[in-house]
Amino acid sequence: MHNRAHNTYNSDDMTVLPMRPASQVMQLERLGSFHQSRLSFMRTLVRHMVSENWQISSSVFDLDEQGYGTVVYQIAAKYGTFSYVLFSHYLDPENRNDRVIADQWDLTMALCEGTVDTKQLDFLRNNVPKQEAGRVDSRVLVLSRANRSARTFEYVVNELAHGHQPNVDVIAEVGYLYRTTAVYGSGKLGMADWEKVRTKHRDFGRPFAAEMFTCYMLRHFSMQQADYLAAQRAPESAASLHEDIKRYIGIGNSTGLGMAPFLINHPLLINQWIEMRETALATVVAASKSGVDEATRARLDTATQRVIQHLGEIVTSDERQNNANILLREELQLLHLWLEEQGAALESNHYVWASLTQYAEQHWHIETQEVINTLLIELYPELVDGLEEQMGVDESHQITPEMPVAELLEVIEDKYAWALAIDFSKHESKGTFWYRSEEKMEPRLGQTDIDMGMEKEMPLAVGRRVRECYDQVYSYNQARSEQNVAHFIMQNPTYSGIVARIQTMAQSHYGDIRENLVHSDVLPIHLLRCKLSFFGVSKFDPRSRLWVRNTMFQGAPLISDFGKSFVDDWQFPIKPALRSS
Amino acid sequence: MKVSKNELKASLIKAFEGLGFQPGDYYDAADMVVWLEAHGFDGFDRLQAALVYLNTTAPIHADLVQEDAHNSVLDGRGTSILLCGSEAVDLIRSQVMQGSSASLELINCYNRTFVIQRLVKAAQRNLAFVAYWRQLDYCVKVSIEAGAQLPEYKTFTMIEAVEPQSLRIFCDTNLVAIEKQYAAQLEFGSLVETYSAEEMLACYRDSVEQGIEIDKALWQTLDDLVARVLVESTESSRAGAGD
Repeated sequence: MHNRAHNTYNSDDMTVLPMRPASQVMQLERLGSFHQSRLSFMRTLVRHMVSENWQISSSVFDLDEQGYGTVVYQIAAKYGTFSYVLFSHYLDPENRNDRVIADQWDLTMALCEGTVDTKQLDFLRNNVPKQEAGRVDSRVLVLSRANRSARTFEYVVNELAHGHQPNVDVIAEVGYLYRTTAVYGSGKLGMADWEKVRTKHRDFGRPFAAEMFTCYMLRHFSMQQADYLAAQRAPESAASLHEDIKRYIGIGNSTGLGMAPFLINHPLLINQWIEMRETALATVVAASKSGVDEATRARLDTATQRVIQHLGEIVTSDERQNNANILLREELQLLHLWLEEQGAALESNHYVWASLTQYAEQHWHIETQEVINTLLIELYPELVDGLEEQMGVDESHQITPEMPVAELLEVIEDKYAWALAIDFSKHESKGTFWYRSEEKMEPRLGQTDIDMGMEKEMPLAVGRRVRECYDQVYSYNQARSEQNVAHFIMQNPTYSGIVARIQTMAQSHYGDIRENLVHSDVLPIHLLRCKLSFFGVSKFDPRSRLWVRNTMFQGAPLISDFGKSFVDDWQFPIKPALRSS
Repeated sequence: MKVSKNELKASLIKAFEGLGFQPGDYYDAADMVVWLEAHGFDGFDRLQAALVYLNTTAPIHADLVQEDAHNSVLDGRGTSILLCGSEAVDLIRSQVMQGSSASLELINCYNRTFVIQRLVKAAQRNLAFVAYWRQLDYCVKVSIEAGAQLPEYKTFTMIEAVEPQSLRIFCDTNLVAIEKQYAAQLEFGSLVETYSAEEMLACYRDSVEQGIEIDKALWQTLDDLVARVLVESTESSRAGAGD
């Protein structure tokens, strides 16, 4: 796997520098400090929608005066036609709950292949609002639901109905009108398999493209519905949302522990995402081999100032995140100074971006380092955007049965030294366990010796399992050193899963996440943030160590922008320079 | 009702976990069932037959009873291929990877058709396989060329006694070498039926496009097994979800 990235993504006149080592990148805290990049799925989707000029219109817009009813959008993408079906329901505010265990929502939606006829619409109406309690079929690619923001939706509609634009400061505090609480794809609940989506629907053939599009369409509807309701209330005098405000409105997202097991259960996919991101970083660092010109330096400086402003506009009650944002802003100001200090030397020094990343690693916080990496990747779209087509991977694990057991020991010692370094005899090293609740099979984190269910623990403690496997292989090798892995598994069949994982991941560049995920002090939020960064979200607002609110597509182009000239710089959104009239 | 491959696999993984399978085993077993059903091998019927046994017996694996450089014999101890198929195929793979053709006999095992998926997966490592076993009054022969995505599946009349619950597997770098090396052991009676790769592929494509039809009762059975791995929800446990 790593050979492909190293060997195939070299520009004609450029050498790709070595990528950062797994020992650095795969630390959980660093993964939890990642920010979105050009390779994030939302960014990629938007680039395609705009440049390919996807045509989106509503074939059904049947809402009552309260905004409840049915809407169907037709999407003519580059390669296929799709329908986005949305049901808007009355929801008692008492029942508005973002947790996966909720059973009622303001909106429920389905992204379908082709066009939807009356019969299919009736079928969807009977099932989509039920979400997990319903069933759909393989014509459906994605199923989702969303709740209104209690803080912004009614406020925005009311302002528009009075002929005013909403105060941007109010929008900035929240960032969205609706919050999605689950987005299901990949064949769940009878939907189309990922294999079908990938092979049949090229428009959504990259990981999570269909899921991201579903959220993008929710954003579009949320603003259309706000305009519609305002016009219903004041047909003569209502204002429509200003386009600059619309671009600044995103979609809220609540992500909890359900996302965490995904990262552990799909190590090859996560490895691939990280490998592509690191390939992009190595590529842009290599691009500074002969220095960087003034225009490039200026773009980095401008982007840095934008991030500083973006961070200053984030409102979070989480003290840790707040402190991190403050520190990040301070250190990014220092980046500005660093660039100034370098002055003309930037144009002649070799590998100046390597100097910058090394300086950042030596002097600045880990999250600052990762923001800088993201900003560097932004500078060279022509060098990195092609990697977006390499974000998928075959996820099959395979045992190498002929490997001598002594070699397996060496592999573990080499690739899993981090796991062997953990002292699992300490109580805190086994202080938590992951399990599935009977409530919608929701993944939860239990405390060992306190919570029930330890005997039904999910196998997410990769480090501990590697340690147990190593000890068993070690003993086996003492007695039967001439044997191979096939023999070991015949004698110890309970280790076949972890051996397959070790042997498979040992061939990848980055391998497993290097953290004891059952430690008492584990921060699952780092796992969530890592995956969300690849989705492309912004404005992380942790609500505990177990779930995080964030914003999707804030700053992104509107449907009306498709087909027009486009500068792909909507990441790190900042308030538009506009006040309520 | 119809389910997707992904959904079916996810359910099977947890159902097998509910039956006491270990992580490696439940992934492999789920893959076997999904592959057979998606390719038209009546995977669900075979699963239901297997569940009668698996639901009443703790998971056990095969024992290695005899081995030299080219031949090995495993005793399945009455267990299912869902539990011992992987280790059998891994063992014969390891022998061939060390330099020669190999044969393996797995005695006293059930649900042998499931082994086809393990052979197809192993064939992706540039190894060829031939397997045969007795099914009622016929002999089933499965051949897969190195690197091939689909096997050749044929049934023959029997010309000599074959142990009713045994499975023979032969492996080399290509089918010609296997047929030559083990010609005497690969003689069968007249051809009864062929299930072609084209038919398998058509079935598979339909499974991907339309989903897989599953009997609601079987789906409920799987749900009941899945429930075994779920933990009761309490106020305290809700705190473990972020409340």
